[in-house]
Amino acid sequence: MGKQLDLLQGTLDMLILKAVSLGPLHGYGILLRIQQISKDRLEIQQGSLYPALYRLEHLGWITSEWGESENKRKAKYYRLTAAGKRRLQAETQNWNSMADVIAGILGTKPEEV
Amino acid sequence: MICWSRLRSWLRATHHRSRMESEMDAELRFHIEALAADLVRSGVSRQEALRRARLEFGAIERVKEEGREARGISFVDEMMQDLHYGQRVLSKSPGFAVVAVLTLALGIGATTAIFSVVNAVLMRPLAMEDPSRVVYLQEQWRDLFPGVSVGNFADLKRQSTSFAKLCASNNASFNLEARELPERVDGEIATADYFATFGVQPIAGRFFTVDEDKPGQARVVVISERLWRTRLRADPSVVGQPIRINGMPATVVGVMPKSFDPLLGNSDLWIPAAYTAEQLADHDDHYLNVVGRLKANVSLAQAQSELNVIAQRLQQQYPLDDQDRGFRLQPLATALLGDQRLGLRMMLAAVGFLLLIACANIANLQLTRSRSRQKEIAMRAALGASPRRIVRQLLAENLVLGLVGGVVGVLLAYWALSWIMAHGPAEMPRLDQSRIDASTLAFACAVALFSSFFFGLAPALRSASTRLNEVFKMGSSTSGGTRDRVRSLLVVLEVSLALILMVGAGLLVRSALLVSHVDPGFDTSNVVVGRVGLPDPGYHDPAVARQTFERMITVAAALPGVESAAVVSRAPLAGGGSSNGLLAEDQGLDLSNLVNSQLQIISPSYLSTARVPLKAGRDFTPQDRRDRTLVAIVNETLARTIWPGENPIGKRFACCEAGPKGRMDPVWHEVVGVVADVRAWGLDHQVQPEFYIPIAQMPPSAWDWIGRTMDLVVRTGGGVVPVHELQSVVASVAPAVPIYRLSTMQQKISSTLERSHFDTFLLAIFATTALLLSSVGIYGVLSNIVTQRTRDIGIRMALGASQAQIAWDVLGFGMRLASIGLVLGLVGALAATRLLSSLLYRVRPTDTITFTAVSVILLVVALMASYLPARRATRVDPMVALRYE
Repeated sequence: MGKQLDLLQGTLDMLILKAVSLGPLHGYGILLRIQQISKDRLEIQQGSLYPALYRLEHLGWITSEWGESENKRKAKYYRLTAAGKRRLQAETQNWNSMADVIAGILGTKPEEV
Repeated sequence: MICWSRLRSWLRATHHRSRMESEMDAELRFHIEALAADLVRSGVSRQEALRRARLEFGAIERVKEEGREARGISFVDEMMQDLHYGQRVLSKSPGFAVVAVLTLALGIGATTAIFSVVNAVLMRPLAMEDPSRVVYLQEQWRDLFPGVSVGNFADLKRQSTSFAKLCASNNASFNLEARELPERVDGEIATADYFATFGVQPIAGRFFTVDEDKPGQARVVVISERLWRTRLRADPSVVGQPIRINGMPATVVGVMPKSFDPLLGNSDLWIPAAYTAEQLADHDDHYLNVVGRLKANVSLAQAQSELNVIAQRLQQQYPLDDQDRGFRLQPLATALLGDQRLGLRMMLAAVGFLLLIACANIANLQLTRSRSRQKEIAMRAALGASPRRIVRQLLAENLVLGLVGGVVGVLLAYWALSWIMAHGPAEMPRLDQSRIDASTLAFACAVALFSSFFFGLAPALRSASTRLNEVFKMGSSTSGGTRDRVRSLLVVLEVSLALILMVGAGLLVRSALLVSHVDPGFDTSNVVVGRVGLPDPGYHDPAVARQTFERMITVAAALPGVESAAVVSRAPLAGGGSSNGLLAEDQGLDLSNLVNSQLQIISPSYLSTARVPLKAGRDFTPQDRRDRTLVAIVNETLARTIWPGENPIGKRFACCEAGPKGRMDPVWHEVVGVVADVRAWGLDHQVQPEFYIPIAQMPPSAWDWIGRTMDLVVRTGGGVVPVHELQSVVASVAPAVPIYRLSTMQQKISSTLERSHFDTFLLAIFATTALLLSSVGIYGVLSNIVTQRTRDIGIRMALGASQAQIAWDVLGFGMRLASIGLVLGLVGALAATRLLSSLLYRVRPTDTITFTAVSVILLVVALMASYLPARRATRVDPMVALRYE
């Protein structure tokens, strides 16, 4: 396990959307999945997940319903909506181009200027 | 305010909110437990796992709070916040809140009460099927609109094609015997399609049929729900039962619903008209109410033009009866309620003005407050509130005022409406149906919202546009110039509206005073009047009818405390009457010389009993019988109309009946006396030409015209009114015959003035309130200006201005506002009062005295309102003022 990174401002939403795009999950499951995909390299404050979830739900990008967890407990499951899917695509595209630009800038050597 | 916080907590505890909270709780608990379970699996003790899970999760309450915020504050939440804030602000300035709420409640309450009357009387559709197609038909002769003759009705019904239904009825009252004592009830004699014309179904039984509406059939009767309930004890098996009407048995065939009173005459029973052949040929007696239902594709104008064609045909066919006679068609609602429109609209306009004045006052108060609140608002703006949010928040504050004012106003309207219904004019149809119902509440709500917007918008916009730096830089001494202009404008508006109301009220008051000094033409004190109708069966013979009335007079005159008694076909102010055409002998027997005049049939003792002054000639005597010369007494107006400048005594005129040689064979009546004009139609009505003939000389057929009904008039010595004695007098002479509409002459006079007094009273109250409110407005603006300019005043005084100069400045400003308002108001009043002219008696709508008096009152009140702030200005101590802030 390498060094843990602090989450970049505004990226949590994107990660949540990505996590639930892979299948319905409850809040704890989303957290686990992000950690699992990131190979535990991202540090997410457990509590901060929920305000983000509610905001995304309020915006209509994800939707929730009550279901049963793996160990037979009642849990709230989140799913991506069609609008959320579009949003995720746009965010991904945006992120990728932004990352390219930033990487390009940061990778500039003095002789290239 | 208590109500308000209850409402708020109720809203907060709504189902949605609480479910959201408990779900959030469950979800977060699940998370912590799942995390703990994972930790347990990795070998930590359960207790330690829970502790670490909570630690890792973070502060759960903060998460919840952020979660709530993340869900977004909805528009409703934001509005609730604004309203809550508004309520808090208002409860911190209770003085302002109370004044504003009461002012507003006054405006809303008055408006709502009057609106509910207008709604009941004018706006609610008549209780019948598709009332817009129902029309009222009258004859038109010169400038009169009499009823339709039976002959003309029959011809119209045969010839016209515009009507799906056409029916006729005439009002009548009946002696009803059913279980209890005989009683007089009002009803109508109607043709069979009367009910079908209005399209209303009976609640029990049926209408009478076309066959029953023919002469010689067994008598049937349809009764009202009210009669069924009050007189027949709501007997469910009433249909088919016999009752006695005018001494004759009749069978009840149907009961009409409660709401059924299509001609608004409080009819309690309907019997078939069953016109005889003789009646159907009669084109001379014009007394029928004719109502038609237009065919679906026929307009009022088309029907009217068809009637015009028929009228021309009838004029040729019956030159004696129908010369110059036309027909007039009106929507039924116009015919029945048209008289009410002017007065009620005037009231509605008056309360509208009152409401505007109230709103202007509150707007003024708000503007005053907004000045002292500038810093608060600037602070909110500095903390990031957008101008829109601030305007919305201030409007919400006004909305709170509006709603509370509305609630109090509706309570006030309840009270006012019950007062109006108790004291309102009895003659106003459907007034008793006024109530605070859904539509009135909706109206009050709309008025409250409109007002809070009206008085809140200007202050709110002004506050929102305040620039931060200005506020914090500014001391309190510089005067906000534009603010004063808006406030002055509002005061001018208030004053001008108040003046219009005052002029209107002033004119009505002056008119009422003039009416109260009108000479009724006879001695109204100590006179008691009651109406007696003899039924046709027992009293068909004219001699029997006359002798019965004569016996009543004798017995009544012998009562202790009674000075004299008499009968008259229509006592003054009894309403109705019989109009006849007269032809003077010396002017030629040409129908175009016909003079229309009211006929009174009287016993010889009538003129002396009523004390109608004899101006010339002699009174009737018992010797004026039918075998002697036929005589008549005319009133001064009739004498002037027929024989201007001549002595009418000894002149002869033809009227009332025809001689043996046919319609144009005159029967002459000789004028033996002239009496003073009697205001028979009300003190504020014009005197009609009128003539009297003695009961012993009346044409036998006249008993049918007057329905064997006469007014018994009794003059007492001033003691107790012998009401019960009169009832037993009538009962002893004519068993089972009631005496009705029994009251003193003074009561009858005041009941005819009821309506105009009511209008005058209400308008005077509104005008006084308006005057008070606008003087409060003047006072408010001036004292605010004095407060704002304390330092200016102090400087001027320090520079040597005298107290008088300062006082004159303030007074002058107040009077300038009042004068501008006065001029605008006078212009408005000149335009508005013209609409009142038909409500005025002998007062021109531009009456100089009223306009002057009202202007003086207004200026005096304005002066008084300006005096207090002016005095305060003179008390300013220059030293204190200069140190002030």
